[in-house]
Amino acid sequence: MKVELLVSEWCASCHQSEKIWREVAEEKDIEFAVLDMGQPEGRALVSRLRLKTIPALVIDGELKGIGVQTFAEARAWVAGASARQKAGMQHAGLALSPDNRLFILGAMVYLMLGGLGLVINGALLSGPARPVALHLVTVGFMLMLVYGLGAHMLPRFTGNPILMGVWPWIQMGLVHAGLLAYSAGFLVGVYPVVIAGGALIWLSLLVFTVRIWPVLWPKPRNNGMAIQVHIQPGA
Amino acid sequence: MHKRNRWFVTIALVYGLLGGLVALVHLSAPGLIPGNVARMHGHIMLLGFILMMIYGVALHVLPRFSGNALHSERMANWQLYLANAGLPLMIAGWLTLLNWLVLLGGAIAYSAIVLFGVNMLFTVKPHGPWR
Repeated sequence: MKVELLVSEWCASCHQSEKIWREVAEEKDIEFAVLDMGQPEGRALVSRLRLKTIPALVIDGELKGIGVQTFAEARAWVAGASARQKAGMQHAGLALSPDNRLFILGAMVYLMLGGLGLVINGALLSGPARPVALHLVTVGFMLMLVYGLGAHMLPRFTGNPILMGVWPWIQMGLVHAGLLAYSAGFLVGVYPVVIAGGALIWLSLLVFTVRIWPVLWPKPRNNGMAIQVHIQPGA
Repeated sequence: MHKRNRWFVTIALVYGLLGGLVALVHLSAPGLIPGNVARMHGHIMLLGFILMMIYGVALHVLPRFSGNALHSERMANWQLYLANAGLPLMIAGWLTLLNWLVLLGGAIAYSAIVLFGVNMLFTVKPHGPWR
């Protein structure tokens, strides 16, 4: 069963509708996609079904509902679908999830810390502090921004769910602990701590890769077809 | 999401893990990896991880944000091939300390950057009167 919810960033009730349907999608084994009417996939749906109101709910290509449904109504519409196996996979929403919000906040804090070198001597420091300042910017800022934005955007771009549960929090703990150990190790000159910090950062990237992989390359479903949610010319 | 753009993101992740591994091995056993390892690590992370990630995401979102189709799919495909031919040559150059190989790889990687830049300029440029 393919359930498509047509929304827009500026529509307040769309956020509520999406929240309800995301919860239902966690319970039932349905192909769920949130389509933004500002993007080509959403516009194609608007044009095909001649929709004039959002949020609009389309099930297996047919318009089923307009406006925000209650949980009971939403569950009734997908009652025929089997229960979803609990795999910790979640579909991305319009708003940032708490873990992604914290990744982006962390990125900003590390950028300000790493950038301090510019104020101190006009460059990203020198001596043992230089690799610390460099990695506060590259790992602390760039990598954490990739974590936060990547985990938010890529599931929305592909329409595939991302591994959640404890995994984003493990990834976050590893990258913070790793960067702090790496920095402290360099500043006090204890290289085993630098290596341990580097290994923790690397493990955080491994966790991120494991979470993102099924978003990019979903497993084929029972009918042998990969989930193709977004209609895109040339795809 | 276009398969090519998914490849860009996938390759970015692989380069990220590879670049991290190079740094870890170099820190643990200096001299085990020959050549200019610090420069290799820096470029694998920036050209391989960050830039490939930007390529994949930008090729997906910028046409959508600008309201236009991507100017040239063929240019974007060649960008994928050239970016992934250039960086391995640069890595080989640093491993063997052959500057001409680094230069050749750098020129190929740069041609991918130019293809991306030109493709995006034509995709994002406003059509008709300014609004």
